[in-house]
Amino acid sequence: MLKLILVFTLFSVSFFVQSNQISVNVLTQERQRVGNVVVYLTPKVSEVSAVSTKIEIMDQVNTQFSPHILAIQKDTQVRFPNSDSIKHHVYSFSQPKTFELQLYKELQADPLLFSNTGAVELGCNIHDWMLGYIFVVDTPYFGKTDIDGKLTLEVPEGEYQLDIWHPRIQDDLSVLSRSVSLPVESDVEIVLFSPLLPDVNQYEEISGEFSEYE
Amino acid sequence: MNNALRYQLASYCMMLKWAIVSLLVFSVKSFAVDISGLIQLNYVKASDHASWLDEGTGILAYSKDGVNVQQAFVELSDSFSNGLSYNLVANYYQLGEQNLGISQAQISYKPLSRSKLRWRGRVGFFYPKLSLENVDTGWLSPFTYTQSAVNSWIGEELRTPGLELTLYSPGRSRNSPISFELHGSLFKANDPLGTIISWRGFAMHDRQSLNNDRIPFAAYPSVIAEDRIFHPNYVEPYHELDGNIGFYLGAHIDYYKQSTLRYYYYDNQGDPLAVSDERLYAWRTNFHSLALQHKFDGRTRILAQWLSGSSVMGTRFVYIDFDAWYMMLSHKYKNHRVSLRFDKFKVREDDVFEWDQNNSDGHGFTLAWRYDLNKNWQIGLEQHLNENSADIRATLGENIQVDQQQSLAVLQYRW
Repeated sequence: MLKLILVFTLFSVSFFVQSNQISVNVLTQERQRVGNVVVYLTPKVSEVSAVSTKIEIMDQVNTQFSPHILAIQKDTQVRFPNSDSIKHHVYSFSQPKTFELQLYKELQADPLLFSNTGAVELGCNIHDWMLGYIFVVDTPYFGKTDIDGKLTLEVPEGEYQLDIWHPRIQDDLSVLSRSVSLPVESDVEIVLFSPLLPDVNQYEEISGEFSEYE
Repeated sequence: MNNALRYQLASYCMMLKWAIVSLLVFSVKSFAVDISGLIQLNYVKASDHASWLDEGTGILAYSKDGVNVQQAFVELSDSFSNGLSYNLVANYYQLGEQNLGISQAQISYKPLSRSKLRWRGRVGFFYPKLSLENVDTGWLSPFTYTQSAVNSWIGEELRTPGLELTLYSPGRSRNSPISFELHGSLFKANDPLGTIISWRGFAMHDRQSLNNDRIPFAAYPSVIAEDRIFHPNYVEPYHELDGNIGFYLGAHIDYYKQSTLRYYYYDNQGDPLAVSDERLYAWRTNFHSLALQHKFDGRTRILAQWLSGSSVMGTRFVYIDFDAWYMMLSHKYKNHRVSLRFDKFKVREDDVFEWDQNNSDGHGFTLAWRYDLNKNWQIGLEQHLNENSADIRATLGENIQVDQQQSLAVLQYRW
């Protein structure tokens, strides 16, 4: 019986080696799934990764940032269009990127380059309830968990540092960080130690509809 | 439709077309300045009781059936990286004494801040943000055309040339569902505030007074006669008559963007003995205003506001206590918005002259449907009914009690 289990396990491992996938699950202590978490794998042996030429989008829709969290690779440009019929004044005081940008309703602002890693918190000086994040990583292997708290990434074989980030996570992020070796570890579960900060995403559900403050 | 009406409608359409073309050209030339505006044309089936704007004693704006420019304004605004911004609203009104003028002009400073408790300020000629009804551009209501008694009065008599400072804390910066704002303002002028509701009583309309406006009302003998109060049958609400500085204080509390409560205390600190050469008085007027809004979801909301205060002029020549409130339900379905409002209002006197009668009261229902054809064009219909009484009508030989109704069909263009 023991032999049979061993054979089955080895077969499973060899199957995932071929696919080169890693699946990451983020859960709370109560086993609740945490979505929209940025997950990124940084190769331990530094590799020369191509500079991203893609321009990412952080839109303003119904006086909200869309998406709420945008994960990008370092040295990526981000465009801030304005899909609303009113003006926005987007700003960040965050250390990786400090800026302010006037977003007129009919004028397109030039994209901004994000060259430093870390979390960039965005606000709007006209609509105080607007809050968004750009999280900059120094690796091409990243993504966000879905509503089931799960993310699957295609990654080459090798040794990686696996990190996660979300604005509601209170834990010391270095404690949640771990080394993973692919293809050996293809299914990773991260359980948070502390409860999440309160969920105030209801700000996203009902927005201001009219031009004056409601 | 008769020929005269058809001709009138055609000429308004031509005016509208030229106004839009001129503004589009202007907006292309003026880089970055935000130019928005709105024009409303209506066909009104008016009440048969003449409006105060025509020196009648009715409390609705229109005295006769016909096509009118209901609202027309241009708003210029811009904001700068340093946190400074300005906005100016220039209006045209077909009704009333001053047809072209400014209804709001202010410079605001709101520094960029990451603090959980922030501040901002503004100077100019503006409204305290006490209304949750007047949240469209140009201080219009996006719900009904005929506004509540409370805010009809605010729009016609209250504006504060002054300075307002605000401390505020956006809830999202504290990861909290609760946001709050505290407002304090010092202002000059606005001394005759209270005149119009003391004699005419509350009214329901959307005619905001402009910077140098004069609001007429019926020539009540007890008001205009030289051996009586000897006051003209109009008020110019923005005069400075006594040199005193008025103030208001306000507090806003929001739960997410779902529920809002706003409280204001306003006191113009008027010296009721101050009187101008044209015999306009400074009225000492103060009031409390409490406004509430709750959105059940993104489509249905309930709004309410209650206003209570008093006003005095002379050595208690006129003293009134006033109360007014409204409750409104508004529902949006796709491009339709339907709003139903109930208003109740009352003015009671307690002064020295029995022959000058200031008691008035009433209630009204307003039902409006507005439909967005696209982001620029909107059509709408409104039916308004009220029952109101004003004792002072007896001095003109009129019935004290009046029932009024008004129907509106409105075409709106905004850009």
